[in-house]
Amino acid sequence: MSQALVDLVREKFPEAVTGSHSHRGDEVVIVRREDLVEVIRFLRDDPQADMKLLRQIAGVDLLTWRTEMTGGGSLASIEAPEYALQKTPQVEPRFYVAYNLYSITRHHALRVRVELRSDDVKLPSIHSLYKTADWWERYLYDMFGFEFEGHPNLQRLLLYPEFQGHPLRKDYPVRKRQLLVPELDFPDLIRGPGPGPGGAGLPMSQTHVGRHNVDPDAYD
Amino acid sequence: MTEPTEPAAPVPHDPLTFDEDLLSAPMTVNLGPSHPAMHGVVRLVVTLNGETITKAIPEIGFLHRGFSKSSENSTWHQVLPYTDRLNYVSPLLNNTGYIMGVEKLIGIKCTERAEYLRVLGGEICRICDHLTCIGAIGLELGAYTVFLYAIEARELLWDRIAELCGARVTLSWTRVSGVANDMPHGWDQLLRDCLPRVLELTDEIDTLLSANRIFIDRTRDVGVISGDEAIDWGFTGPCLRATGVNYDVRKAHPYSVYDRFDFSIPLGSHGDTYDRYILRIEEIRQSHRILLQALDQMPPGPIVTDDWRYALPPKEDVFNSIEGVMAHFKLIMEGIHVPEGEVYVYTEGANGELGFHIVSNGKGKPYAIQVRAPGLPILSALPRLIQGHAVADLIPIFDSINMIGGEVEQ
Repeated sequence: MSQALVDLVREKFPEAVTGSHSHRGDEVVIVRREDLVEVIRFLRDDPQADMKLLRQIAGVDLLTWRTEMTGGGSLASIEAPEYALQKTPQVEPRFYVAYNLYSITRHHALRVRVELRSDDVKLPSIHSLYKTADWWERYLYDMFGFEFEGHPNLQRLLLYPEFQGHPLRKDYPVRKRQLLVPELDFPDLIRGPGPGPGGAGLPMSQTHVGRHNVDPDAYD
Repeated sequence: MTEPTEPAAPVPHDPLTFDEDLLSAPMTVNLGPSHPAMHGVVRLVVTLNGETITKAIPEIGFLHRGFSKSSENSTWHQVLPYTDRLNYVSPLLNNTGYIMGVEKLIGIKCTERAEYLRVLGGEICRICDHLTCIGAIGLELGAYTVFLYAIEARELLWDRIAELCGARVTLSWTRVSGVANDMPHGWDQLLRDCLPRVLELTDEIDTLLSANRIFIDRTRDVGVISGDEAIDWGFTGPCLRATGVNYDVRKAHPYSVYDRFDFSIPLGSHGDTYDRYILRIEEIRQSHRILLQALDQMPPGPIVTDDWRYALPPKEDVFNSIEGVMAHFKLIMEGIHVPEGEVYVYTEGANGELGFHIVSNGKGKPYAIQVRAPGLPILSALPRLIQGHAVADLIPIFDSINMIGGEVEQ
């Protein structure tokens, strides 16, 4: 059933679709980055596709696809040393972003994939098509550093603004430590003795109450 | 005696009727991250105009544990305990969702008895999740009894879960192609004995809340969302069905053995807080029906495959044959090997569609794994749900979407 959907997209956008395959019943369409918004808009609005639900946007980094060690060797590869990464041949296109779409009325699913080269990780935002894309795109920006052009508020979703790097990239070592974030003044808050700003001077957790990292004027 | 003083001059302005303008600048208030009415640790930056919420921005990430990164550096079975901690109220549903993804990548089928055991455990967990949500709504609207009833019922079920899996919350009970252990002797009778009490407590909650004037006033027409808009925001599960959209993965794409049970999907009509509440009550009854049917249909047979590439061999073989030792050693030291591929697998979690996007490069670890937590899209719509309501309405709305910090913040 989903194969018909792939044919539909191929027929409508012969230029945009650069490939398609199916694995374990999951249909995948690879489209060009420039045509992403048009393809997804077509899938959402076309009565035959009618994919009104955006389930998830996922990202994958293919940097260590071939070089990663097997099974029990995983413990050794936890600390990705820099020299090992230098030896790693560059894989291009290094990233891809997968949009999992679903139709509640027609019960079919399709995954739209966009490939990205490591030197150009920009792609268009589909925030205007699906409201739920807002947080998924922020999540991917947070974890992979993809820049979604046209997103109204592209900030980190789970991590804090001072975080350095993007943790789900394969060259980010799993045990990498982050710098402690300096305390921020929060004059309105009166604190008693104890840890925290104004207290015993111990560093607070990195996103404590007093941080000004949420802008109430976002989305204005 | 002093002379009686002159009566005081009349007050020029009665304070109750003064006509000067009150200070009406919008005020920004932090709710959370640690707030008694916040489930989990989430911070809401709320802009108020008087008592009306004009804008709310949720800030999440306080519980971020790096689920994806940790999983990418573990073997396939080592990911299971991480999935427990995604939704700690219904961990078995997460276990099943993840392990079905691994099975789909391998192309292996679960044994029939294990399917039934997964359904049993999963539906118990679903009831627990709904009871927690309902109890919290009651608690925070002042009905403390409801909370106690819900927790009593949940404790009964968690005791059954503990007898079944060996743990109350962190179960890690599923395995590729099966489950870790069979149910103990006589356990099915214990479950049959405690289910009437759970149903009775649910009925008590129903009679206490569902027709309660105060409860209805607080929840009816509060946090309304239409079906189309809910889909646009990515709603699934009870929050979507409360708007009248019939989408339940168990019916739309019957996985496991859900096609063998006779149960129905309750639907709401308004998409407000009351519908989200009453739907969960109804779903508890449906899950109860599934449990009884699963107990009746429970087939005999193995609980895990005998393919030693994927499941540990029985201990007799480990101690008595070289093949058994080798299989055991390889599984423990290296884990299972999953062929290359990419799947998105989806199951019906307690709060909606729980999806795992799993990529394998055939090297013994998940190459990439990202979870579609049902709560994340729903929480992202919280500003839309509470806009224009009073601060007091925030709490029932927030309760009714049943945000679970563990899964949203991964």
